[in-house]
Amino acid sequence: MIGQTLDIVTTAAILYAVATGLLLVFGVMKIINFAHGGLMTLGGYAALLTTQAGLNPWLAIPAAALFGGVVGMAIERFVVRPLYNRPLDAILATWGLSIIIGQLITIAFGRGVQFAESPLNGTLDLWGESYSAYRLALVGIAAVLGIGLTALLQGTRLGLETRAVIMNEDLARGLGINSGLVRFLTFTLGSALAGVAGALITPLSSVDPSMGVPWLVNAFMLVLVSGASLVSLLFACLVLGGAQVLVATHFSPVLGGLTIAVLAAIILRIRPQGFARD
Amino acid sequence: MTEARRLSLILAVSFAALAAIFAGPYLLDTYSVNVLTRSLLYAAVALTVDLLWGFLGILTFGQSVFFACGAYAAGLVFTHMDFSTSNAFLALGLGVGGALLVAAIVGWLAFWHGASALYASVITLVLPIVATQLLYSGGTFTGSSSGLSGFMSFDLSMEAWFWLSGSFLVGVTTLAYIFVKSDAGRLLVAVRENEQRCKYLGLDTSRLKILVYLACAAIAAIAGYIYAGYAMVVAPELAGFVFGTELVIWTALGGRGTLLGPVFGALIVDYESAQLAGDYPFVWQLIIGTLFVLVIVAFPRGLLPVVFDLPRKLLGLFRPRVPTPAASVTLSTLDPADTQGVEPGEGPALTVAGVVKRFGSLTVLEGIDFEARAGELVSLVGPNGAGKTTLMRCIADGAERTAGRIAVNGYDIGRKPPEACVALGVGRKFQMANVFETLTVAQCLQIARVRHARPSLWRRAQDLPLPEAAMHVLATTGLDKQLSTPAHLLSHGMKQALELSMVLALEPRVLLLDEPTAGLTKTERMQIGAILIDLAKKQGLCVLLVEHDLDFVREISSRVIVLHQGRIVLDGSVEEVVASELVKQVYAGSGHAGIDHETAPSPHTELPA
Repeated sequence: MIGQTLDIVTTAAILYAVATGLLLVFGVMKIINFAHGGLMTLGGYAALLTTQAGLNPWLAIPAAALFGGVVGMAIERFVVRPLYNRPLDAILATWGLSIIIGQLITIAFGRGVQFAESPLNGTLDLWGESYSAYRLALVGIAAVLGIGLTALLQGTRLGLETRAVIMNEDLARGLGINSGLVRFLTFTLGSALAGVAGALITPLSSVDPSMGVPWLVNAFMLVLVSGASLVSLLFACLVLGGAQVLVATHFSPVLGGLTIAVLAAIILRIRPQGFARD
Repeated sequence: MTEARRLSLILAVSFAALAAIFAGPYLLDTYSVNVLTRSLLYAAVALTVDLLWGFLGILTFGQSVFFACGAYAAGLVFTHMDFSTSNAFLALGLGVGGALLVAAIVGWLAFWHGASALYASVITLVLPIVATQLLYSGGTFTGSSSGLSGFMSFDLSMEAWFWLSGSFLVGVTTLAYIFVKSDAGRLLVAVRENEQRCKYLGLDTSRLKILVYLACAAIAAIAGYIYAGYAMVVAPELAGFVFGTELVIWTALGGRGTLLGPVFGALIVDYESAQLAGDYPFVWQLIIGTLFVLVIVAFPRGLLPVVFDLPRKLLGLFRPRVPTPAASVTLSTLDPADTQGVEPGEGPALTVAGVVKRFGSLTVLEGIDFEARAGELVSLVGPNGAGKTTLMRCIADGAERTAGRIAVNGYDIGRKPPEACVALGVGRKFQMANVFETLTVAQCLQIARVRHARPSLWRRAQDLPLPEAAMHVLATTGLDKQLSTPAHLLSHGMKQALELSMVLALEPRVLLLDEPTAGLTKTERMQIGAILIDLAKKQGLCVLLVEHDLDFVREISSRVIVLHQGRIVLDGSVEEVVASELVKQVYAGSGHAGIDHETAPSPHTELPA
């Protein structure tokens, strides 16, 4: 029972960490960044390089953020910016970028599966249950990400401008907010977060050129269900991630893998705004 | 070009294509014939992606699933039962039937009234993921990750498979081409351009989307069935997301909305992939990915139009091109005996009783009660935010209002969607001119008539009978001389007139007009005013008009309803309203307290019991 609860909480934390970057980009730019999976892969390889160089595995997180952020800047400038008015085309173009990133990584690192060193090993005893220390640490990391982003959005001038762009971009522009800059910074931040997510999941799985893709669809569905709110994203991760854990343990892991996508599709059919308040 | 000549030209081209397919095996080496057989089938599936995405505007990632439906039906039947002629038919039936069933479920999920384009794409994205997982978990029945192989199949030579696949591709491409160029096919573009206008022209766009989706699923399933017969192996990857997106990539590279572009895109890329993937697998994928991003960003129309435009431009340097006159359509006045509008019902043309509209806690309309008879021209006036447009919306779409009852022509509109309200006799003209920008004037009018005159699936109509009222508007404004002008080139006033004639082509009983004269010149305004009076007096329409220009209202209305803060504050003749102190206060905004004292009773007494 405790083990399952911990599974649900840690799964939700991982999903939250993976989806925040996508949510930020979707909220501000109203486009789905299908390169998110590719950027996660990039973050995974950044973690691999960091540990292979013998550095502290925790350094993988800032390294991955740097990788993701720099590539994200280039993507925003050259691919996403011309497609502001064609949101469906932006999905396709970013998917194309995902292919490019995957192939470049394959050429550079080969197709093989590799493993990065985990920053935390062993288990912790919690309420009589010994549980993976790293998975527990992820809950803290996801909380820091969520609180940090909320503070950025609620507490800074940039956050205020970003929220203004989310609510009404035309009006925000009319008030002198440089919405192009807001979009650029948002996409960069979203890409950096994708890289961080890639680095965070590497100790749980392996590193390979298509590691990000399976996460993409789940993250995408969670974001659609949550609208543009970090709070409803947390709720969606807990509910749908919890459902995934329960289905996977009690029925079959294959069905568990489908749970988030199918449930989200049904939720959106019944309530188009999903878990968002309006 | 006459209709017969146009169709025979299409058929001549497809016979030439068939001849090329027949010659194929004699000119190509065995390896190429083998690879191209697969490419020909993939091209047929890419064609369905183009129909859905390029024409109808539904970006689909899931056509691979329908291909796999046909392929797995063959694989499963031939593996678990014996191969025989009857089983071959059974497998084909199961494949197509299964694909239709899946498509119906997806269609119900994705194309309901009010679903966004993004949501439809999301559903088609979830579909291949679900399908692959189900195939993986099928154990020995579906062969799990390795799929099914080693089953018996039709005993055909490699050339025969090539001819079969090629003829299938040419066949579906020809049919699809004839369809999209027909009157019915133009509806697809109309739905993509402006789905809202289509609904308010009485078209059930959800049904149209589902029908096209079902047809596309069946085509893909047949292609998959042929594929399984020839390759004698089926694998879960056929249903996968990667194959689904590859189809989209080929369509985008070739040129969406061109039909031939995606076909050639699929043929060339898949064939070249087979040639080059062995030597340079990752580099080849990298090139395709880069090309794809480049095309999406820089050449959204794809490469086929670029290739086609180049020789045309070069040719144009030597020989000035004579613009071919667009296929002309002749207008005629519909015999009043043939009009198909709703019969005028018993009692008032429009009954609005106790209508309430709330957005969350904000009440926009409350206790709206009035009736309007045929032949009345009722103006709705009131300051901005009074709820005039909201009231129009509630009458034209049954799902809009929060409470209350609305009856048109004696029929309760219930919770019916806009297209069903149109069938009851509602015609709505929007505030901003709402037409099909890329279509010509004649084509816009044809689409407005689709509700009454079923469009042909293969021909283009040469004449267009319109009801007298619509003809009158066209003749008065001179639009009848610009029938082949694309709507986006019309002036603002002409667009308004076009939309009005489109709505009148519906033969409505109740005409809802939201500021029809906004942004028009004095002369245009006079014209529209005369037309409206004529419609009410002579045609017996019930016209409900939202208007800010009180002078205009005074000239044309037979009755005026004043809305203020979501309530009717006055309902009377033009003289009564003009003389009213209250109306002056409402417009001058001199204190709401005064109004409360003078007329507006407390909400309790105003609400109907």
